Amino acid sequence: MKKNLSFVIALVVTAALAAVPLFVKKDSLLTYLCMILLYVSLASSWNILGGYTGQVNLGHSAFFGLGAIATRLLWFAGWNILLAMLVGGLLAIAFALLIGSPAFKLRGAYFTIGTLALGQILYATVGNLFPQISSMPVQDLISYTLVTRYYLFLAVALITVLAATLVANSRWGLGMMAVREQEDAAESLGVNAFQHKLLALVLSAFLAGLAGGAFAFFQIGYYPQYPFSPIWTLDSTMMAYIGGTGTILGPIIGAIFFVVLKEVLSLNLAEFHPTVFGILFILVVLFLPGGFMGLWKRIKDKQQKKRESMAELSHP
Amino acid sequence: MLLQVEKLNKAFGGLKAVNNVDFSIQSGEIVGLIGPNGSGKTTTLNLLTGFLKPDSGSIMFDGKEIAGSPRCSMCGNGIARTFQLVKPFLNLTAVQNVMIGRTFGKEATMNLKLAEEDSFSILEKVGLRSRAYVLAKDMTLMQRKRLELARALAAKPKLLLLDELMAGLNHAEADEAMETIREIRASGITILIVEHIVKAIMGLSDRIIVLNMGEKVAEGTAQEIMYDPRVIDVYLGKSHA
Repeated sequence: MKKNLSFVIALVVTAALAAVPLFVKKDSLLTYLCMILLYVSLASSWNILGGYTGQVNLGHSAFFGLGAIATRLLWFAGWNILLAMLVGGLLAIAFALLIGSPAFKLRGAYFTIGTLALGQILYATVGNLFPQISSMPVQDLISYTLVTRYYLFLAVALITVLAATLVANSRWGLGMMAVREQEDAAESLGVNAFQHKLLALVLSAFLAGLAGGAFAFFQIGYYPQYPFSPIWTLDSTMMAYIGGTGTILGPIIGAIFFVVLKEVLSLNLAEFHPTVFGILFILVVLFLPGGFMGLWKRIKDKQQKKRESMAELSHP
Repeated sequence: MLLQVEKLNKAFGGLKAVNNVDFSIQSGEIVGLIGPNGSGKTTTLNLLTGFLKPDSGSIMFDGKEIAGSPRCSMCGNGIARTFQLVKPFLNLTAVQNVMIGRTFGKEATMNLKLAEEDSFSILEKVGLRSRAYVLAKDMTLMQRKRLELARALAAKPKLLLLDELMAGLNHAEADEAMETIREIRASGITILIVEHIVKAIMGLSDRIIVLNMGEKVAEGTAQEIMYDPRVIDVYLGKSHA
């Protein structure tokens, strides 16, 4: 019953999002929605490894960047954009497989620091190898339509959220959460922790790579280094925490909240908005464990308890 | 013979935590493993479950050499364990905790619906059916211990290793736990228990193995062990023997 209801809501929301370009004609608003969808993809894909499997990855932008760079080069070389994106996703997987083994030798905070270092190395390397700005060729600029980009972002976001939902509700998802909660106990029950972490990493990387591909198709001019910037990682991590890690809705809510707030803040506070986000992040970690989703659950639990105690009072 | 351990050795630096230990367990037995602090009980358990790799020696289980196998394969071999300090999946519900045993252990099922149904009946067995949707972190120590037992049972082991399951429980709770352990044996599962509570270990075990400083000192029934001068020596010192 509850499952059916969520399914119907998801369908309605998807249909509404698909209909948006029919009603929204303002480019600025559509761009804004593109950013939200992009961040939904990034935060949700981060959440598979960071939220469900408990491996806080601060090198997520590496996968986003690899997807972007591969897609951009192939697309400019005349490839079909979808095919180029797929290769971008596969390149991200290849990198995930390469770093997976050594990275998962590290546990907890050490894993986090290791991935941060990997991300930074790639950021610097790409900056050195591709110092020139990457601009869209004229023929692509002439045929550029924002609506196509919007639908591509929407498709990637839908695929990401769907994949996360399917995995989270599968046997693999159970194993991942077991690894997150208590690795020793999980292994003693037959869960291969390394396998589960690696699967989460590969999936997370592929989806981030697709998002990178969509970004490469969307952004007119940028330095190839830009998608590798740690800011993408930090933003998606913060969104997941603010919305609630280890839940499907958390990163989505976090992404919407974050993008809207960022817009409001940068209009009013200009350069101060990163400071505000930093403070907000600290507040969430300290006082709102589980983010908005955690808060929502606590409120519901309290109501449930109240109802139970009321029932006990009326039927002693 | 379900389990046959021969010349098992494990040293931590210069300390021989387990020194040339031999023992065996037959199907259907409850075997107790006792010894003072630091005698190598938990190390032995960790060697049997792959949490530590033995330096040398052989562990034959169910006709298969398993010494040094990765720990996540032990459950598939048919050995499940509980931990001295319970390790529940805190942010998962009781039924999810048990489902992990059912979907990854021996005879694991890929069907989550079936796993959930089975998990409910296992929770029923350990008296936690009414707590099925409670998060493990909201449970008392006693409930967490029962949950850990349920989780291990869901993995359908042939041999169940219980590491101080009764530590920290009061008399009534320990009695209940003993009853549960007897029921588990009656269902055909062989059990190795490490325990400090004398009443529990004497009352439950068919056979007791005594370790001291990494070596096996004695082996026998509860009666034999209690009057064995070597055992009295270990616990009370030479003059009492």
